[in-house]
Amino acid sequence: MAVSSRSTVLSLYIRVFRIARAWQAQTGAASDSEAERRYIEQEARSLFRQNQPLTDPESIRRCIEECEARIEIGLHYRNPYPRATYLPPLGLATQRGRRLRAQQRLRKQAKPVYLQSHDDT
Amino acid sequence: MAARVLQQCVRSLGRPSLRLCPVNLALRAAVAPAVPVHRPFSSAADSRRTRWLGQSRISSVGLLCRQYGDLPPLTLETIKDRVLYVLKLYDKINPEKLQVTSHFMKDLGLDSLDQVEIIMAMEDEFGFEIPDAEAEKLMTPEEIVQYIADKKDVYE
Repeated sequence: MAVSSRSTVLSLYIRVFRIARAWQAQTGAASDSEAERRYIEQEARSLFRQNQPLTDPESIRRCIEECEARIEIGLHYRNPYPRATYLPPLGLATQRGRRLRAQQRLRKQAKPVYLQSHDDT
Repeated sequence: MAARVLQQCVRSLGRPSLRLCPVNLALRAAVAPAVPVHRPFSSAADSRRTRWLGQSRISSVGLLCRQYGDLPPLTLETIKDRVLYVLKLYDKINPEKLQVTSHFMKDLGLDSLDQVEIIMAMEDEFGFEIPDAEAEKLMTPEEIVQYIADKKDVYE
């Protein structure tokens, strides 16, 4: 199980870099293509390094899903940046209190799979 | 007369230059200079043309071959030099500790993600794709050189 997930992860890593090598931005400008290419490589390196110490097979599976989702979405929309999502419709809670915990729980639930490794808000 | 012109060609080819890849050069250097050339004027034009258009870097002056706009032929020595050069440019490798037989994981302290990046850099350098199954097994520069020599049919 661990061996196959390792080979899956490495093949995903290679796949991301091969996509980055032949990436053309949707605007067609060479500088944009270059910037997006560098963004893809840098994002892949940082996220893979950040999730490297994970050992739980469930979280590894979720990270693999995240990587595949981002690859598919990026290739479909020709946009390497993660798609932004709306906050769940509950208003904003104060910094303490039970509504804060409810809000955190709802936000964690509403976070799409391709934003798992990003822990802002 | 013809032999003298051909010697001039050889000397002009042997001069080192910065450009590695000849672009649209038809270097008419015959393998055997003993072949009689009955058109001295065209040979003189050839030698002048090669001097103007710049020279390609050939591994040894004695090795003359036709290169119709192709890259210089690969040898084990040049493959090894290029592999080590690319590895020295990688920032996670210490250039002093790098040997031909140094293992990426055990000696240089890299991990599998770094090894994948190194193999990608080799793919970019030599211009052909390395499949994943074989890329996983390449763990030292020596193995990389052997693999590329196998794929490119370089014997010595």
